[in-house]
Amino acid sequence: MTGFLLRRLGQSAVVVLGVTIITFVLTRLLPGGVARAILGTRASPVSIAEFNRDNGLDLPTWQQYLFYLNQLLHGNLGFSYRLNEGVGTLLGDHLPKTIILLGASTLLALAIAVPLGIMQAVRRNKVEDYFFTTLSFALYSMPTFWLGLILIIFFSVDLNVLSPQGPQGDISTYLDPEQLASLVLPVVTLALVTIALFSRYMRSSMLDNLVQDYVRTARAKGVSNTGVLYRHVLRNALIPIVTLLGLSLPGIFSGALIVEAIFNYPGMGLLFWDSARTRDFPVLLGVTLVVAVATVVGNLLADIGYAVVDPRVRITE
Amino acid sequence: MAAGNYEGSLMRTTGLRAATILPMVALVLAACGGGTSGGQRLTGGTATFAELPDAKPNYIFPLTSGGYFSVANLSQFQFLMFRPLYWFGQDGKVALNSSLSLANEPVYTDGGKTVTMKLKGWNWSDGTKITSRDIEFWMNMLKANIGSWAAYSPKEFPDNVVAMTFPDDQTAVFTLDKVYGSYFFTYNELSQITPMPQHAWDKTSDSSPIGDYDRDPKKAVQVYKYLDGQSKSVGTYNTNPLWQVVSGPWKLKSMSTDGHVALVPNPGYSGPVKPTLAEFDEQPYTTDTAEFNVVHAGGVDYGYIPNQDVDQKASLKNYTFAPWIGWSITYFPENFGNPKNGAIYKQLYFRQAMQHLIDQPTMVKNIFKGYASPDYGPVPIQPDNNYADAFERSNPYPYDPDAAAKLLKDNGWAVNPGGVSTCTSPGTGPGQCGEGVKAGAKASFNLQYASGQVVVDQEMQVLKTAFSKAGIEINLSSAPFDTVISTAFGGNPNWDMANWGGGWIFAPDYYPTGDEIFSTGAGSNAGLYSDATNDANTVATTESNDLKSLYTYEDFLAKDLPVVWIPVANAQLSMVKKTLHGWDPQDPLLQLNPENWYFTSS
Repeated sequence: MTGFLLRRLGQSAVVVLGVTIITFVLTRLLPGGVARAILGTRASPVSIAEFNRDNGLDLPTWQQYLFYLNQLLHGNLGFSYRLNEGVGTLLGDHLPKTIILLGASTLLALAIAVPLGIMQAVRRNKVEDYFFTTLSFALYSMPTFWLGLILIIFFSVDLNVLSPQGPQGDISTYLDPEQLASLVLPVVTLALVTIALFSRYMRSSMLDNLVQDYVRTARAKGVSNTGVLYRHVLRNALIPIVTLLGLSLPGIFSGALIVEAIFNYPGMGLLFWDSARTRDFPVLLGVTLVVAVATVVGNLLADIGYAVVDPRVRITE
Repeated sequence: MAAGNYEGSLMRTTGLRAATILPMVALVLAACGGGTSGGQRLTGGTATFAELPDAKPNYIFPLTSGGYFSVANLSQFQFLMFRPLYWFGQDGKVALNSSLSLANEPVYTDGGKTVTMKLKGWNWSDGTKITSRDIEFWMNMLKANIGSWAAYSPKEFPDNVVAMTFPDDQTAVFTLDKVYGSYFFTYNELSQITPMPQHAWDKTSDSSPIGDYDRDPKKAVQVYKYLDGQSKSVGTYNTNPLWQVVSGPWKLKSMSTDGHVALVPNPGYSGPVKPTLAEFDEQPYTTDTAEFNVVHAGGVDYGYIPNQDVDQKASLKNYTFAPWIGWSITYFPENFGNPKNGAIYKQLYFRQAMQHLIDQPTMVKNIFKGYASPDYGPVPIQPDNNYADAFERSNPYPYDPDAAAKLLKDNGWAVNPGGVSTCTSPGTGPGQCGEGVKAGAKASFNLQYASGQVVVDQEMQVLKTAFSKAGIEINLSSAPFDTVISTAFGGNPNWDMANWGGGWIFAPDYYPTGDEIFSTGAGSNAGLYSDATNDANTVATTESNDLKSLYTYEDFLAKDLPVVWIPVANAQLSMVKKTLHGWDPQDPLLQLNPENWYFTSS
């Protein structure tokens, strides 16, 4: 296991390094000059030259990359000349907000989707199954922005019971009742769409497992229905959910652009979008790096998770 | 001011939670506040103001570099705390506001070569008097760090100040390099000065004692680096003692990297109008949709309605709808330096044909739903002013596709409506295409425009259709604002036309001369337009106080078309809570004066 972990960590480092190279080069291939975009139409050639020199933009690309990598290894993610703040500080402000939003919605979705999937599998082809299948497809096919706007119109404008925007201000205030209430609509919007996804996986996975030989054997040995369902079938049926969760980890770190935009929630999705739009390369690279790390960690956790939930899977040296 | 910033997209699109609780926070009835038509006047409360999605304040040091030279940073943030020496904007007009200025009106002597400024003896928030040393501090810092200042234009301010004297602690005297018109020098040069607290800021590090470092250019560079460095951590602004010494009516209470700003009254403000609100908050919005959702829920006091949603304004019963007209012009440049098509753009008849194909009144009506004004020249027509003369207002090139086609035909082009017209008669004689235009040259051009604004998308599509009526093919492409700016100013000569969706706002150079945009070699002359007559006219506007010189300048450019004039959208379609008062009229220079604001009980 230790060898496996070390090997995977080594591979992950190479992947992350590769991501930094590719992203760095791609940002340099974007048309137009950064300095002019940042400094505006009044900028003189002198100030543009000064800006390029101060930010190392007058160096060859490979030298710029080595400079960036050196800074990175010293824990310096760079400085956003657009937002006038260190990239580390910006990530420190936005990342926890995104983790709260995406984490809460994922947990809520799981808390509803897993029991729902089980119920639908057990009650397959019954009225409840048809009802929730229809509902799931309806929710899954809804554009997030549309669902969010509908919820805002109903709960914020018509009923005036919930805030139309997510919590604002410093994250240390998020436990205030009012701030917590502000989280309801964005979290529910994301969760409703995700519930549909998870519950469909859960249902089909449960159905696959319910017809397996081990289930028949367990029943033949006199294990109760509840025992079969929760001690045997559920554990196996969770494997695809573990995969989904592992793959969703990068999403939890990269943010939900549309929901953040609709609910005025300054998370990682918007930070990334804005940095791409405004050529804020240091932020662009910083967010990409965080997502790259989350992706490799997510995959690693999913692999380990298989071994935990499925005794047939064992990690070999 | 710079295009991504001041003259960028000015359509306001974006504030809430504090707003939902705000009027209840401090409902202390003014003892003698007097009733208003909207109910009893209240003292206190928190007023919330919606920021634009792409316009969050993030720079506090009032010697601002190019990346931060914006309405959001200057007019709607710094000026609330650090008052310029001269305040402009009065009763909704572009005019020197002596009452709010730190100094009395400047006095010009020596035929206009010497200007004397006398301070009013107001105080900094720490009780220290604002003195001429604070003006000197700003000037010294500027001169020593000129490359870092966004508004620098060679040979202009401060190069045109050849000597400074400070006879006493309330008087500053500048000797100028030549005679200037007082209008130009006051409105465009002195307007840039923001006295800074020398007694608190003249240091090179946290531990450095206060000194006269600014008087040594080398040490002034160190001071600048220190102060600029202190400005590079937005999250520390409210705790950094430097930024607590202010001259304006407001002090910073808190600020976050995502654009939340909370300001509270400066009890030591010496000016004539003291704030009665307990707090003024600026709130960031990710998109105009998010802002409008909050307006719908009544969650912001001073917000806006996105142009595309303006039909819903009547449904927002608790708000007053108030279009905000900025002191700006809108245009897009053709690239006179384009090696392939530049020769075509240099032909006046061709530019006239293009301008004849832009139906501004219809664009204003159908695309902007009436919330824009036509632009026929280099001086804003709106808000009402006496700088724009009758000729410029007269629409010298009204929409007329036939006239456009005729201009091309009469100058050697085979006009192909719906297709591409070609030059069939090259040469410089009468009836020929003009110098540098080759036989077979095609009237086919690329136009890159800023994405993200529905109205600009529509405007460009209308323009493409109209241009095709005279066989002028426009190949549209949209790109982020910054890309368009980089195209137009990036040094690559191969672009044809670029529309960054804005134009130019005359702030803080309020007198609408075109020295920075249309003069030969001007830094913001993206299309490289050059004309000796215009250059002479422009110089005359800086040297004369006679409005006739401004009229001569604008009439020439209205006829000569250095750019393609297009409608000027209102800066913002404001939606203001009916319980909030004192904000009207809205300042065409887009400044905020929340010290005038107050709530009423209903």
